[in-house]
Amino acid sequence: MATYLASRLAQAAVVLAGVAVLVFSILQLVPGDPVRIALGTRYTEETGAALRERAGLDEPVLVQFVSWAGAALTGDLGVSFRSGEPVTALILERLPATVSLAGVAVLVALLIAVPLGTLSALRPRSVLDGVATVASQAGISVPDFWLGIMLIVFVAPVLSLPTGGYTPLSEDPAGWARSVLLPGITVGVTSGAVLTRFVRSSLLEASGAEHVRTARSKGLAPPTVLGWHVMRNALLPFVTVVGVQLAYLLSGVVVVEIVFSYPGLGELALQAVQSRDFPLLQGAVLLFALVFLVVNLLVDLSYAVLDPRVGTR
Amino acid sequence: MRAPRALSLAVTASGLALLLAACSTGEGVDAEGLDEAPEPSASADGAGGAAGEGVLVAALANTPDQFDPHVTTSQASFQVLENVYDTLVVPSAEDLTFEPSLAESWTTSEDGLQWVFTLREGVTFHDGTPLDAEDVVYSFRRIIDEELSNAFRFATVTAVEATGPLEVTMTLSAETPNLLANVGGFKGMAVVPSESAGLDLATQAVGTGPFELVSTSAGGAELTAYDGYWGEAPQVQGVEYRYVAESAAALTGLENGDVHWTDNVPAQSIEDLADTEGIELGRTGSTDYYYAAFNQTRPPFDDPDVRRAVALAVDREAVAEAATFGAGTVNQTAVPEGSFWASGYAPFETDAAEAEQLLVDAGAADLEFALMVPDSDEPAVAAAQVMASQLAEVGVTMTVDTVETGIFLDRQGQGDFDAFSWAWIGNIDPFDYYHAQHITDGSFNFQGYSNPEVDDLLTRAAAETDEDARKDLYAQAEQLVVDDVSYLFLFNPDVVEAWSSSVTGYEARPDSAVNFETVSLDG
Repeated sequence: MATYLASRLAQAAVVLAGVAVLVFSILQLVPGDPVRIALGTRYTEETGAALRERAGLDEPVLVQFVSWAGAALTGDLGVSFRSGEPVTALILERLPATVSLAGVAVLVALLIAVPLGTLSALRPRSVLDGVATVASQAGISVPDFWLGIMLIVFVAPVLSLPTGGYTPLSEDPAGWARSVLLPGITVGVTSGAVLTRFVRSSLLEASGAEHVRTARSKGLAPPTVLGWHVMRNALLPFVTVVGVQLAYLLSGVVVVEIVFSYPGLGELALQAVQSRDFPLLQGAVLLFALVFLVVNLLVDLSYAVLDPRVGTR
Repeated sequence: MRAPRALSLAVTASGLALLLAACSTGEGVDAEGLDEAPEPSASADGAGGAAGEGVLVAALANTPDQFDPHVTTSQASFQVLENVYDTLVVPSAEDLTFEPSLAESWTTSEDGLQWVFTLREGVTFHDGTPLDAEDVVYSFRRIIDEELSNAFRFATVTAVEATGPLEVTMTLSAETPNLLANVGGFKGMAVVPSESAGLDLATQAVGTGPFELVSTSAGGAELTAYDGYWGEAPQVQGVEYRYVAESAAALTGLENGDVHWTDNVPAQSIEDLADTEGIELGRTGSTDYYYAAFNQTRPPFDDPDVRRAVALAVDREAVAEAATFGAGTVNQTAVPEGSFWASGYAPFETDAAEAEQLLVDAGAADLEFALMVPDSDEPAVAAAQVMASQLAEVGVTMTVDTVETGIFLDRQGQGDFDAFSWAWIGNIDPFDYYHAQHITDGSFNFQGYSNPEVDDLLTRAAAETDEDARKDLYAQAEQLVVDDVSYLFLFNPDVVEAWSSSVTGYEARPDSAVNFETVSLDG
């Protein structure tokens, strides 16, 4: 187990280093002069030179990379071109909003997917299964921005929920819940639709396994078979998919965040692109990569816990 | 195998526990959403009728980049700062002529090279320190010395000095009749405290205006009324700005009573909103203008006849209609009608046959070119598409080259284009409308226009102090610019804003400044 953990950590470190190189290259690969593009009409020889010096862009590329990567290791991602504030602070300011949204969305998704998927799998090709399949297909197909606008126009007035914005949990828990609910549902419905199909198929697959047939033939009650023998085996791939969904949500759901003017990381990344704020963009992309790596690592580790064979291989 | 099995059971069990917790949390959220009364600040109904009550909620379409008035160039930032900072003088809501603000009065020396501003007494910054001449000197020197985005407005200023506790003297290298527009046209010229060197003005604001900036976050900003304000006290306790990019959200909020005011009104919603009960629609012609410019440094656009042919082929009515859904006014010059500086010059009448003939005579019958437009500006993109179809009718192939805004500015600066189209915003003085764009070597003369006569007229107009003579000089320059098609002027877009009927005392302004100083909320 310890060796497994060590090797997975080492792999993650290598991937992160690769990502860092790629992220840093954004600045080098942008067509045109990034400083000129960032400053736009404010560009003059003097303002250009000042920004170049402040951002360290007057150094050779290798020196730039080493100092950028070195600082990034200590949590210093540089200073935003646009606002002049530290990138790390800007990202940390958005993090609670994004974690809240991702958390609520995953909850909503699980609340949809687990019961619906399980019921479907229990009665394959029944009416209920048909309805669930159509519903999940619809959930996958409906664009999330459209669903968001529908919720804003038709649901927000009825439940007197805010049409956008985010209230921090620490400031006002009820306000937090009210601000997270509609965007959380919007994202959760789409994710839930994907997960429903996944729960159904993995349960069906697991229930066809030999040991399940044995259990059934022993005369165990169906709920016992489902809970004890089927669920546990179906849980492995399920953890992976939920993990990937969570990582995806944590890296910001841009469209939904824009619709709900929700100040999360996705919106921040979009702003960085629009205002050509390269240090901010680099920081955001690096963070997203880190989130994926960490979540993947956790998923792999939970595998090792759920299925002892994984760790000992 | 025992230990791992127990572990795996524990994990399964905790997974179930999580699901159960999820159920209860979910219900809790629903219940709260239903039972909770709306936040006082988020409800129009919650606001009292008496003066000085309620918090006005304003949904801004765009997000400010930062709050340092001397550094930012973002319109959204100024929509907030408008209520926080003051300038020496301020454009009136009616006709944009300049009125006293922090400066109570001013005098100009005989030769026009010295302006003395006398500051109002008893003005304090939001931290309580009194305003004096040093603050004005510090603010203007900061813009000049640090070469901030508005330094160009002080191009003729050779000295800014405090010549008394409440007296500021500016010395000029040339007469500058538009000096008031330069120091008071918008909040980019705000007066900040001279002790602000230690402050981070990007996130903290210390102004002299009717409201103080109390907090900023990723999703909005909050202002409260400043009780030491030198002018008449605001009628509301505060203003809460929310950044709402999606217009459906802003307008639903407005109908809900969640939002009191918004500038996020798409042109296609104007008619609906005008009929909606409980919502007021503010619409006024703006001082902005849309235009197209052609690269005159190389063929075929170095030939004025080719540019004139394009101008004759364009039907401005159709362009303005498509770009603004009718919320715009066609114009053949930059200055909108109704302005003191408007001449009403309009020599072109759409004429496809004449356009074709001109092109044949100029040897450019099979003209092909690309018009560059910034992707962020929807009206500009729509206008370009209409122009392309109109030009096709006279045999000209115009492709619309929609580029990312940063790339647009970069290519514009380097002269890397056949033609481009965009807008100028926030003009007040004719200097803002014409000077930098059309004088040879002007800082925004990217199209490469050069006409010695225009140079002479614009130079003289910039220093002419007699208003009528000045107006005449600009009209002459304007006529040449239009005839030569240095810019192909298209239309002036409207400023469109919407607010709840519970808001009184607000009006949409041609300069798009958003001023909540005199606004009150009633029931």
